[in-house]
Amino acid sequence: MNKAIPHPASFKDPAGFIFESDGNLYRQVNISYKKEYDAFISSGLYKLFTEQGSLIAHSEISENLTQTTEWYKTLKVERLPVISYAYEWSFDQLKDAALLTLSMAKKSIEKGMSLKDATPFNVQFKEGKPIFIDTLSWELYDEKQPWVAYRQFCECFLYPLYLEHYLKADFIPLLSHYINGIPGDITAKLLPWKSRWNLGVRLHVLLQQNVKKQTSNSSSRKIEFSKTKMLNLLQHLESIILSLQSGYTSTSTWSDYYDHTILGKEYLDAKEKLINKTVSPLHYNTVLDLGANDGYFSKLLAAKGKQVIAADFDSQCINNLYNVIKKEKVKNIYPLVLDLSNPSAGVGFNNTERSGFFERAKTDLVLALALVHHLAISKNIPFPKQAAFFASIAPQLIIEFVPNNDDKAKEMLKGRESTFLDYTETIFEKSFSEYYSIENKEQVPGTMRVLYYMKRK
Amino acid sequence: MIVNTILLYVDPGSGSYLVQVIIAAILGGLFYFKTLWWRVKAFFSKSKKEEPPTNETPNE
Repeated sequence: MNKAIPHPASFKDPAGFIFESDGNLYRQVNISYKKEYDAFISSGLYKLFTEQGSLIAHSEISENLTQTTEWYKTLKVERLPVISYAYEWSFDQLKDAALLTLSMAKKSIEKGMSLKDATPFNVQFKEGKPIFIDTLSWELYDEKQPWVAYRQFCECFLYPLYLEHYLKADFIPLLSHYINGIPGDITAKLLPWKSRWNLGVRLHVLLQQNVKKQTSNSSSRKIEFSKTKMLNLLQHLESIILSLQSGYTSTSTWSDYYDHTILGKEYLDAKEKLINKTVSPLHYNTVLDLGANDGYFSKLLAAKGKQVIAADFDSQCINNLYNVIKKEKVKNIYPLVLDLSNPSAGVGFNNTERSGFFERAKTDLVLALALVHHLAISKNIPFPKQAAFFASIAPQLIIEFVPNNDDKAKEMLKGRESTFLDYTETIFEKSFSEYYSIENKEQVPGTMRVLYYMKRK
Repeated sequence: MIVNTILLYVDPGSGSYLVQVIIAAILGGLFYFKTLWWRVKAFFSKSKKEEPPTNETPNE
């Protein structure tokens, strides 16, 4: 038996922790949490939530794998194919995670339990839908107590969504800095004046700020809560979240790229044929589609039964893709917002609490279509740097080279040609050959673009 | 306040309890008036079919 290795993010809750042993994922329930855990199981909530797919399933193991004295139970937990964090989600992903949290909180109250945590780190995406992953997030419900996770819910879910709703700009990435949620005082300062007429903003943002200032001299009288009050509060939060709209317009920088590109449908068809031909002899199960745009090629590979992470820095593209896979019930695409020139880093305590993107997204194949010119010209990342980066993330690479006489590249190079004298096919090939053997190379019909298939040396 | 009497590993935040008490009171008031309004409306329209909603919240 291998040593149990506790998960670096699992240290806050004394109720238990996640650990790995023999390549499996387990959750230990500590004896201090026995009453709550047993109550949660016997309330029927575990059965209900796992049956409807809103909570991750586990199986109980009778063995004390960690050999700790606090041990009560060991749960073998299903390992999800992709772990993502809220700052990599689009508006509707965070919104759906918020709605899931609220619906579980409501249901729990009815069964005599209360959700003590409301952070998006407890939610992951599985088969296109949000799923709650922390089985130890419940406590016995005391009707006289308000919701212990109320402020956490506001800061982690409500405030970023409010900011995006009112300011129509990307605020969700701020969660990579404010991992415990965007503080109320900052939200209150950022929200525009017109939002102050809104009852939800008044109650859940501004009131908190006013009360906070006065708590130091608050009296010690007992004010009791009730079940009705609790349900009203949760219902109110739910109706607010449901009413919030993203700032995405019908077109963003890249969301209509394929629709309006001069290359258009013929280009896509030709590229699709070429990619089908390229991937057919390959052995791979998982794909990372970088610069996925609207997910055209992610969908192509997902249709072949592969598990695809579709990443793009345009949150609107990712939001659209998320809604498409939700509607079409596509189960093997994971749309995530990612800026390749600054991917999510390791954050939290000791920088290990939440790992960086590429520590989580390990795949067999990387797809980098119409991407190198953006990295090279817009982000000033030279080919040798790009090659080293791609080689560090996956053993196989399908990459499209966009030459400097291509219309898109020409547009980007305008007036800066002298800065990018190294932007040539020869230097591209030379740089990538350092790390890869070029197995296949073919021009995309009707264009000057070249599609490469490479294998890491 | 009652906050001090229970052990919590999540910091509920100073004021968060009081805020919820106030919010609940305001929402309760709104429900009361909303229900009252439905009753008045139902009385004048004399339509017994229109029942006050029991499980609905005012829009934000």
